[in-house]
Amino acid sequence: MGETITFWVLAVVSVSAALGLVFSRKAVYCALMLGVVMFSLAVLYAVQDAPFLAAVQIIVYTGAVMMLFLFVLMLVGVDSSDSLVETIRGQRFWALVAGLAFAALVGLAIGNTIVGPAAGLAGATQAAGGNVPALAQLIFSRYVFAFEVASALLITAALGAMVLAHRERVRPKPTQKELARARFFSGYAPSLPGPGTYARNNAIDMPALLPDGSVSRLSVNRVIARHDVDDDHFPEDAKLADAIRQAVEEEGK
Amino acid sequence: MNNTFQAPTIEYGQLAPLLLVFGAAVVGVLIEAFAPRYLRKSFQVPLTFVSLLGAFALILVQVFVSGVPTAPAAMGAVAVDGPSLFIWGVILILAAVSVLLITDDDHFVPQAAAVPGSAEEDDALAEGAAHTEVYPLVLFAVGGMLLFAASNDLLMMFVALEVMSLPLYLLCGLARRRRLLSQEASVKYFLLGAFSSGFFLYGMALIYGFAGTVDLAGISRALGTVSGQDPLLLIGTALLGVGLLFKIGAAPFQAWKPDVYQGAPTPITALMASGTLVAAFGALLRVFWVALGNLDWDWRPVMWGVAILTMVLGAILAITQTDIKRMLAYSSIAHAGFLLVGVIATGDARQNADALSGILFYLLVYGITTVGAFAVVTVVRDAGGEAGHLSRWAGLGKRAPALAGVFAFFLLAFAGIPLTSGFFGKYAVFAAAATGGALPLVIVGVVSSAVAAFFYVRVIVLMFFSEPAADGPTIAVPSMGTAAVVTVAAAATVVLGVFPEPVLRLADQAASTLFIR
Amino acid sequence: MTTHYLVLSALLFSIGAVGVLVRRNAIVVFMCVELMLNACNLAFVTFARQHGNLDGQIIAFFVMVVAAAEVVVGLAIIVTIFRTRRSASVDDANLLKY
Repeated sequence: MGETITFWVLAVVSVSAALGLVFSRKAVYCALMLGVVMFSLAVLYAVQDAPFLAAVQIIVYTGAVMMLFLFVLMLVGVDSSDSLVETIRGQRFWALVAGLAFAALVGLAIGNTIVGPAAGLAGATQAAGGNVPALAQLIFSRYVFAFEVASALLITAALGAMVLAHRERVRPKPTQKELARARFFSGYAPSLPGPGTYARNNAIDMPALLPDGSVSRLSVNRVIARHDVDDDHFPEDAKLADAIRQAVEEEGK
Repeated sequence: MNNTFQAPTIEYGQLAPLLLVFGAAVVGVLIEAFAPRYLRKSFQVPLTFVSLLGAFALILVQVFVSGVPTAPAAMGAVAVDGPSLFIWGVILILAAVSVLLITDDDHFVPQAAAVPGSAEEDDALAEGAAHTEVYPLVLFAVGGMLLFAASNDLLMMFVALEVMSLPLYLLCGLARRRRLLSQEASVKYFLLGAFSSGFFLYGMALIYGFAGTVDLAGISRALGTVSGQDPLLLIGTALLGVGLLFKIGAAPFQAWKPDVYQGAPTPITALMASGTLVAAFGALLRVFWVALGNLDWDWRPVMWGVAILTMVLGAILAITQTDIKRMLAYSSIAHAGFLLVGVIATGDARQNADALSGILFYLLVYGITTVGAFAVVTVVRDAGGEAGHLSRWAGLGKRAPALAGVFAFFLLAFAGIPLTSGFFGKYAVFAAAATGGALPLVIVGVVSSAVAAFFYVRVIVLMFFSEPAADGPTIAVPSMGTAAVVTVAAAATVVLGVFPEPVLRLADQAASTLFIR
Repeated sequence: MTTHYLVLSALLFSIGAVGVLVRRNAIVVFMCVELMLNACNLAFVTFARQHGNLDGQIIAFFVMVVAAAEVVVGLAIIVTIFRTRRSASVDDANLLKY
């Protein structure tokens, strides 16, 4: 009875979270929804006599994998929401049809399969003295070669991340002394303005000004700018307001 | 409580080629970590060749000294049988030849982390930086290919599939020129590859649900004993097939192939077009012949459709291509279709052995010719890199007759003209299919070969009978490696086209034992 | 109960597959693939209990290892292309066409 209740609660939770993953526009929400699904599955594993997998699911999936996803999202595109414009006409519709058809097919197939009562894992784990020792015996005997080969995967992953992300300095980083010397040798050596010299606001939603008085495009925060436009809430200074509008327009392109 | 643990037995002798390749890859990673930058390449290149050729030598030792094993190794995870050994040999030769192309640093990005077009990239280029990590990655990919073709249970096959694919996803994104194209190819290959391995995995789950085991022989046994669970089995088979056909690039799962082949650095394309195809066919044969052999009544009609669609689509779409690498990609799709004809030609043991030997021979000759063709592509260059567009190849026969001649020869081998190796490859597969009762398929195959031949001939005509453009591509002086690849491939195509007998016999022998269970 | 779990897994798998087809953001597409792999794991664990052998749990364990490695490689590739193009949408990847 307890299992039935757990199942139905978690089934509802995980399916709605999965739907949320597919249909929510914001990537971070998607990641959190995926986390909910993974967590529910961990509980379902625990219910189904797989305590080790439940632990690994929490540690590896909700712990490592989800954190990596969130980390990359923050790094890459937390402010880029999905456009809802279809580029291939009818793709969405047909994808939904195909998905429903597939679910119906597999669901019917499983429904039509004659499933006897579950054998249960008591017999398999008893000899070894519990779930974890029994798994260990299998991993290190029948599946030992797959276990060894999996190390190749992990090495590849580490090496790949190094190749794609590690930037090696080809020339040494210039020191402050060298920078100063280069500036003086350039023939034009005014002292640089101290930080904040040209700032008139210290709020993050205000674009900054450059020494010549123009607005620094780099300083416009795109997320806040979008909200500003949505809420029609602009700084009083027309120059700053224009910069915000432009930033949003450019992003929309 | 009974805690006696039976230590696993691992047949190190049989697995030696595999272990050598993986071991060399790990040593390569250590070299990356500890050797100074300027020495790395001079360590990596010999290491890679020694391990690939050494593994090949170990296969010869296995065959001629110890004999072909008759039972699976490593607790039943890996089947080192006749077909496996032949496929291993083919993969190792093709990989070694592809590595000759890879040693030409010119194809790879100096620093992958530098944004394309940035000052950093220019600096790295000026410093002569290079990613020598490419070599261990290639070795891991080759190790995965070897294992993929020889895995005896579905779990091993899944792990091997990923070991093979992950390095290839990475390597695809490392082209030196047109980096955006290369990176997009990498993303596309990765996402579609992960998607398809999801299907493979779900198919595996359903088949496990049917049979209670993922051992190929165990599944085969369960076909006869389990009843009332056919839906699981059939859907599982279909999903497993999707995963494998994707790797082969059979229609309708071929969409990634032209994009990835075009974007990837050409030496890597050569490796993928030859090695991955061979390995994936090894795995496909093992799943559909060993595990699901008694189910052929059910999967054969679907496979018929897939084979016909693949051949026709590959041949027809090749005609519309304007880029040489995309054209070769579609030709590879068509060839995958021809090979599928052999997969369908099952019957009694004798018939199976014939079909298998045809497939093995075809894989060898097609692989070598492909690597040669891609090697030629690397030499014909424009200011921005390789001259991909076909119009740039016009009149090449007048500017570089030898090169154009060799390329024309490779194209004729793809078309299957007599006196080239491609002819005997096609003949072996189609003959086996005809005796196996797949005559309509053979007819479709021959017709689509003719359609494809039309296109190959068009390229040849373009090269030899049209005026060269004034600002036509330059022919780079090929490096030693590239020249060696073209020579080896051309020689193999000629020799196998004139005296195919010894290799055909070898394939026959390898196939005669069929797959062990 | 077995049937219930299997239907849930089929449902999650289909939702993941639909997500891969309809979403644009490469990271979200990849998350949907992860959802598919998780659905597979649920099926493996369920079948393991059904058959009374632990092979299914072992496979699920290996799938997690593979998925972890795949995530590292995949996200590294996605970050690289993002740095080049400042966008993670798969639709902008339009240099390659049929």
